[in-house]
Amino acid sequence: MSDPLQHFGSVLRERRLEKGFSLRKFAELVDISPTYLSLVETGKAEYAPAAERVRKMAEVLGADPDHWIALAGRMPEDVKNIILKDPEQMPALLRAAKNLTPEQLKKLIADAERKGKGAED
Amino acid sequence: MASGSHQKHRVKFLHEKQIEREAKLLLDEWAEKGHEITVPIPLDELVEIHLQLPFEIVDLRSQFGGHDVMGAIWFDDGTIRIDASLDPHEYPHLRGRYNFTVAHEVGHWRLHRSQLLDDPNERTLFESGSKPAFVCRDGDSVPEEWQANAFAGCLLMPRELVFDEWHAWRGADAPVPDADLDVRPLARNQKRDVELAREALCKPLAERFEVSAHAMRIRLENLGLFVKEIEPGLF
Repeated sequence: MSDPLQHFGSVLRERRLEKGFSLRKFAELVDISPTYLSLVETGKAEYAPAAERVRKMAEVLGADPDHWIALAGRMPEDVKNIILKDPEQMPALLRAAKNLTPEQLKKLIADAERKGKGAED
Repeated sequence: MASGSHQKHRVKFLHEKQIEREAKLLLDEWAEKGHEITVPIPLDELVEIHLQLPFEIVDLRSQFGGHDVMGAIWFDDGTIRIDASLDPHEYPHLRGRYNFTVAHEVGHWRLHRSQLLDDPNERTLFESGSKPAFVCRDGDSVPEEWQANAFAGCLLMPRELVFDEWHAWRGADAPVPDADLDVRPLARNQKRDVELAREALCKPLAERFEVSAHAMRIRLENLGLFVKEIEPGLF
């Protein structure tokens, strides 16, 4: 398995070219320099772009932002805030759920959404 | 721009007309895919989308040494790398030089790749991909670099588009003679003063084509739009 940043970089480059954006054009659209974009795409950047920047990149290229933020080794800002708000139970919830199957996770999410909505009402 | 490590002539002679034809061919290929060729020429898209060459902007100067390295090309997979000192986002005033350097590397790819691949000595040099076929520096004129420069000029400033834009700008097809330039009469015979006056005049056109006034001036001279004097009866 290659370095995660290198993997993110190659996914990004492949998708960018697939969508017909040049390095310069895409850098302009997500407001970074093409030199930095080159570093990210070749896995040579010291740090991954910030989560919100990755979100913008994914949105421009029609990819799933949360998936790309994870690929880049970052955490979405809202998820970070949720954990910071309840630093004991939220990590515990994630640890407890980590071995569930995708189907079980889907059910858990639906349950949580229903309960969350009830709590709001 | 010059090749760093090879002093002997590595490529065969090419006439300017052949070079212009090659540049036009590349634009025709892009047009055949349904793209309209307008000013400025969509160079980055030609490189990455049409030719599908890997393209990066990196710190080449540290890699190859010297403050004059502008770009380099690897012939194993066509990777073009441009030095970060020309990054058009960081240094928008160098956009013209950036474009010219990219187009220059494309020139090496289109004009020289097959020639060098046919030469067994050259081929072994870059087959592994570790060595670039050309490292291009500012300010030299060995044949391969002159040819790549000529290609860049023809690609970024295609003949027909230059004539169209010239007409739209000047309101006529007539060339500009030195007598019409803003040069002190006594200095009119001094080559550099005339060049500077021509560059000052053609700056708006250079901005349209996203090239430097220097590159624009040379192209206009080659196309006969800047002349010493107008031959009687021509316009």
